[in-house]
Amino acid sequence: MIYGVNVVRKLPWIIKYRPKKVDDVVNQEEAKKTLIQWINEWLKGKPKVKAALLYGPPGCGKTSLVEAIANEYKLELIEMNASDYRRKSDLERVARVAALQRGLSSKHKVVLLDEVDGISDTADVGALETILDIIKTAINPIVMTANDPWDPKLRPLRDAVIMVEFKRLSKTDIKKVLSRICSNEGVKCDEEALDFIAERSEGDLRSAINDLEVVAEGYNEVSIGLAKNLLRPRDREYEPFEVVRRIFISKYAWQAKQAAQQTDLTPDELIQWINENLPRQVSDVEDLWRAYEALSKADVYMGRIIKTGNWDLLSYAVELMTAGVSFSIINDTKSKYRWVKYSFPQRILLMAKTRDVRQLREDLAEIVARHTHTSKSSAKSDTIPYLKVIFNHNQLMAAKIALALNLSDNMIKYLSPQNSSKIIELVNKLRSEVGQKSGKESALGRGIKVKEKKISSLNNFIKEN
Amino acid sequence: MVNMMSSQTLAELLWVEKYRPKTLSEMVNQEDVVKRLQQFIKERNMPHLLFAGPPGTGKTTAAHALAHDLYGPDYRMYMLELNASDERGIDVIRGKVKEFSRSKLPSNISFKIVLLDEADNMTADAQQALRRLMEMYVDVTRFILIANYPSKIIEPIQSRCAVFRFTSLKKEDIVGRLRWICSNEGVKCDEEALEVIYDISEGDMRKAINILQASASLGVVTVSNVYKVVGLAHPREVKELLQLALDGKFMEARDRLRELMITYGLSGNDIVKQIHREIFSSELKLPEALRVEIADYLGEIQFRLIEGADEEIQLGTLLAKLVVLGKAARSMKQSVK
Repeated sequence: MIYGVNVVRKLPWIIKYRPKKVDDVVNQEEAKKTLIQWINEWLKGKPKVKAALLYGPPGCGKTSLVEAIANEYKLELIEMNASDYRRKSDLERVARVAALQRGLSSKHKVVLLDEVDGISDTADVGALETILDIIKTAINPIVMTANDPWDPKLRPLRDAVIMVEFKRLSKTDIKKVLSRICSNEGVKCDEEALDFIAERSEGDLRSAINDLEVVAEGYNEVSIGLAKNLLRPRDREYEPFEVVRRIFISKYAWQAKQAAQQTDLTPDELIQWINENLPRQVSDVEDLWRAYEALSKADVYMGRIIKTGNWDLLSYAVELMTAGVSFSIINDTKSKYRWVKYSFPQRILLMAKTRDVRQLREDLAEIVARHTHTSKSSAKSDTIPYLKVIFNHNQLMAAKIALALNLSDNMIKYLSPQNSSKIIELVNKLRSEVGQKSGKESALGRGIKVKEKKISSLNNFIKEN
Repeated sequence: MVNMMSSQTLAELLWVEKYRPKTLSEMVNQEDVVKRLQQFIKERNMPHLLFAGPPGTGKTTAAHALAHDLYGPDYRMYMLELNASDERGIDVIRGKVKEFSRSKLPSNISFKIVLLDEADNMTADAQQALRRLMEMYVDVTRFILIANYPSKIIEPIQSRCAVFRFTSLKKEDIVGRLRWICSNEGVKCDEEALEVIYDISEGDMRKAINILQASASLGVVTVSNVYKVVGLAHPREVKELLQLALDGKFMEARDRLRELMITYGLSGNDIVKQIHREIFSSELKLPEALRVEIADYLGEIQFRLIEGADEEIQLGTLLAKLVVLGKAARSMKQSVK
């Protein structure tokens, strides 16, 4: 028996059928040889190179092989993945473990840093440097995985490790595993359906097993019809679409959460994608509201992260925007599996298109705020709406205000598209009159006071009326 | 300088500025506050001040008038004015405010003034930093803090200030001022229209004068022009947004929402407040219980807008709730039939 079977019934298949021994790992003979040789060097004493970088496409067995080796050689595995790199305290914990002398009785340790290509240059500043330091001081083996090891930012890392290549799994490799699972689970599986699932997995065994489980779970059979219905054709160029789809169709909360990690999207981009497409996917109105409640709470966590810098909160935000959204859909669960055309977040496009006019609006708000001794936001909500009314209805009054506030032609256009040319004309006329007048008045040296005198005293006014 | 001044004889200031009292004696309301402030002028000395009260009740005006009466028309030379809503971080306090506070005192005055408007929007860090400045430079600099909600000012600052409470303006104060402006401008105005403006402005003088000027721009200030102006200034789109959501058209409502936020530049808070204004209107056909439920949810969303990162997500949540409530309203109606 190759795959462990006597496990709790509800365990997700990709965990249930995770390789326990090196032999369980499908194919990848080259990689196995290199890695085991290197581990043996460690067990014997000090190896030449202290870290290994396993690279290859997703789902080809990189992490599985490390786990299988740890299991077989009785090594203690210390794991860390992409979402943890931004926490300095976690990296430091790993560093301590990596540098830890092995006690006489205790096990050898292996440190696994998963998805190092997921380290972001901006958000995880210093993470790579820390990892390089860890390698320097390590006295335990450090194994890293990556899909794309040729990323320029990983260059210093490449020089410090042995590189172990994993090949993309063939369709036959994948089909073999799938039919084994089918017979173990007692699920009737069409040859044609397994072909279809293996084909669309593009060598990603993990996604193939997930797909198989999605189809089998609901119906306890895997036919080509069901498979085609439930599994939308994958489109590599549109990664984000796939992530959103996976979030909706996931059977388990961890699957939904995992989908968020299998993407280049940052959490604040991902939440935009979900926000855009949620109402396209969900049909029941109560489901939609419940899902939005989850998204709303995710956003509150995001806000707190921004305000406090506490990145620990990130996982709550991600859990709510993925699993929280997906499992809010309970009235019409079928709607989750509907094929809908997803859309790029429209707001991002709109924001780009309107950048100039928004900048203009900000500049105008600043002028008005300074003039009326208020904040920009109250200028925008309390004064500018009334300015628009004036500019749309009274060109002379508008021109005089434009002159007093020294508004640009574009600002006048913003306040009244239909009257702008006439107002601008009036402004220029007034301005030239001012020029003539100021010559005379400066001789008199009186300026604005002439006008101010005209305002009667309010106290007198009250007495008179 | 002369050139700019004379340009204003042809140019038209916004009426809120043109008719803003320049001196304390020109202020016709907040008599108790004004009387105590005039005492400071007499003594040529004052403590740090905290002006608290609703918007449009004369807090900023009083601060400027006080400075004017202390230093004369060129008072701005001796005063740093900041709006804490726009510049509310600790950097501003440590930078601009500190530089100004510690700078040398001109020989002709006994202290400078820092005016911090909307100080209740300052971050807690900034307030702590401010508190130290208030102690260190009290011999050369006095602070005037202005706030709608004084409870958002930290206790140690409150206890260092003389607190002045500004009350909502009375109807006769606002209507009288509007009438006076109309007469100065030679604008015909109906008495009834001025009362409508007072009702809409909720005791906020700035709002009242803005409505008055916009109404006057239509020719005469009549009741119908006032309502027209208010309707134009608050885009109908908010009403339509509300109706679309209640009718169950989520996607259309969201498009409208984006238009309002991105094209019109309304903030999430503006939209929540404008929806709030609509929900008790008789134009909106809704079971009474649901109006209250919407109000409750609006409050929740307004809170999350402050806490959250992305306003559209919070308002999307609001729209989704309105869709659910709209559906409930329709089924309630049917069961009555």
